[in-house]
Amino acid sequence: MALFPVQGIVEGDFVIVLAPVDDTDPMTVVAEKIAYHGVGKRVAVRPGPLKVRWKGTILADDATIASTGCAPMDVLEVLQT
Amino acid sequence: MPRLPRSEWYDLTRDMNWDLTYVTEDEAFPPQLSNSFGVPAESWWTWDEPYKITYSEYVHNQAGKDAGLFSVNNVVSRSKIFDNLDPGWKAAIIAHYGAIAVAEYQAGIGEARMARFGRAAAWRNMAMFGTLDETRHGQLQTYFPYQALNKEPRLDWAHKAYHTNEWGIIAARHLFDDMFTANDAVSMAIQLTYTFETGFTNLQFLGMAADAMKVGDIDFGALISSIQTDEARHAQQGEPTIKVLMKEGKVDIAQNLLDRMFWRAWKLFSLLTGLSMDYYTPLEHRTHSFKEFMTEFITKQFIDQFRDFGLEKPWYWDQLLNEMEWLHHAYHLGVYYWRPTAWWSPVAGAGPAEREWLEEKYPGWNASFGKYWDVMGENIRAGHPELTLPETFPMVCNACQIPVCTPAGYAAGYLDSPLPRILDFEGRRYTFCSEPCQWVFEQSPDQFKGHLSIIDRFLGGVIQPPTIEGALAYMGLSPEEMGQDGTNYAWAFEGHPAPAAERKVG
Repeated sequence: MALFPVQGIVEGDFVIVLAPVDDTDPMTVVAEKIAYHGVGKRVAVRPGPLKVRWKGTILADDATIASTGCAPMDVLEVLQT
Repeated sequence: MPRLPRSEWYDLTRDMNWDLTYVTEDEAFPPQLSNSFGVPAESWWTWDEPYKITYSEYVHNQAGKDAGLFSVNNVVSRSKIFDNLDPGWKAAIIAHYGAIAVAEYQAGIGEARMARFGRAAAWRNMAMFGTLDETRHGQLQTYFPYQALNKEPRLDWAHKAYHTNEWGIIAARHLFDDMFTANDAVSMAIQLTYTFETGFTNLQFLGMAADAMKVGDIDFGALISSIQTDEARHAQQGEPTIKVLMKEGKVDIAQNLLDRMFWRAWKLFSLLTGLSMDYYTPLEHRTHSFKEFMTEFITKQFIDQFRDFGLEKPWYWDQLLNEMEWLHHAYHLGVYYWRPTAWWSPVAGAGPAEREWLEEKYPGWNASFGKYWDVMGENIRAGHPELTLPETFPMVCNACQIPVCTPAGYAAGYLDSPLPRILDFEGRRYTFCSEPCQWVFEQSPDQFKGHLSIIDRFLGGVIQPPTIEGALAYMGLSPEEMGQDGTNYAWAFEGHPAPAAERKVG
């Protein structure tokens, strides 16, 4: 396990945030960690699961940072589906 | 002693241009301090300033200005005028003093460099007056807030700000070091005096002085008016410098210098002036929106000047017009949300009347930007103001050093993507908020590549402990200095009646 900084964008938010995640986190957790900084604070909460998009592709919920090959400070978008 | 008319002796005494024999041109004018861009020395000697003044006239004029100005300050500092100013206006002037006062001293360093390394005696003469001007501006803008310290301790940031690593000051320092503190004399004449002073601050100061008078801040209004009269004079060093370059066929160089600094100036101008005009100035005293101001004074009047010299609009003009629609609205949200990182207390400026004005000036504002204020207002009314405060940091652009707000441009329909621009260069990753910011970096990577943004410092272990509290301490902000909601959340309750006693905020 290692701390892994990424650039996070919550869909609909106005700014990109620095989001610390863990390289073993599955995408469901990564999504929650990024969304924490925007959803319900600046972006209205919407029902439905969160998804992570990286380089234009939606990542599987059980994929981890390490398994995807994501690099530190890559940009991850969190979508409220 | 009989006195000759100025016109009969001015040029003779001014033009002390020497043919160098004991040293080479490069020894007398090192390119790092004065880049001639290949223009021969004699060609520079045709440099002729449009505004002529002698030293005795200068001193006479300045003494008169200071006598009037200090009289106003003497009276106002003993009055209740500052106490009665609108909280939004206080935010504007506290931000202004911190961002500008010490930068004026730095501009004095730049002017002094032109006074020594300007490539013509006439230019060096004018820059000497500019050096005195900027020293005066630094002194005035530290003394005036000093006089009001007993009413607002944060005015201490007029002097303190540039001695900290507060993020906005890192942005301002990065820009101003590029523009004047670390710039060569020739580039500076175009980038500081022409692009920034003629294009932006001269007009901004006129607007701010008028706004100050309307608000009732006669102290600040008189101060800014007085400074502007100096700016209007020494800003004219750019015009003859451009003329020499153009005459020598250096149009590409002049255009490049202008393009680089116009974009950089826009970014900081948007952050400072955009917020002041559209959010901090009390609604009843606003005469125009930031976009209207930019359109009329910058993109119409200033562009006519480009063309008069044979220059063209910067290549990114459409992107500038695009950002004028949305960028400062995003910056305002950022400054408000990350208000503990500011040395002033921003007002939200998002009550019903303000929102109506914003919708009129920026059609679609409620749908594109009002939605963020809706969520924050609901949290405040529900007794959770802590949800309007940060627990992480925004990403910062490695060129302008300002938070990357591309998602706002995308969400509002002005950009095709919310993604930032990423550059992996010599083993390091850089993030940029826009194509022109990346272009600025790539024009001179050796100049910029070693700089660490506030986020780079956070991730690189420079900031300890690596927490919000550690970062705020690194920025020089004590709890008493950190920005708070300038109206104690009153905006969130406008149109949502709730007895004050029931409010769980503040």
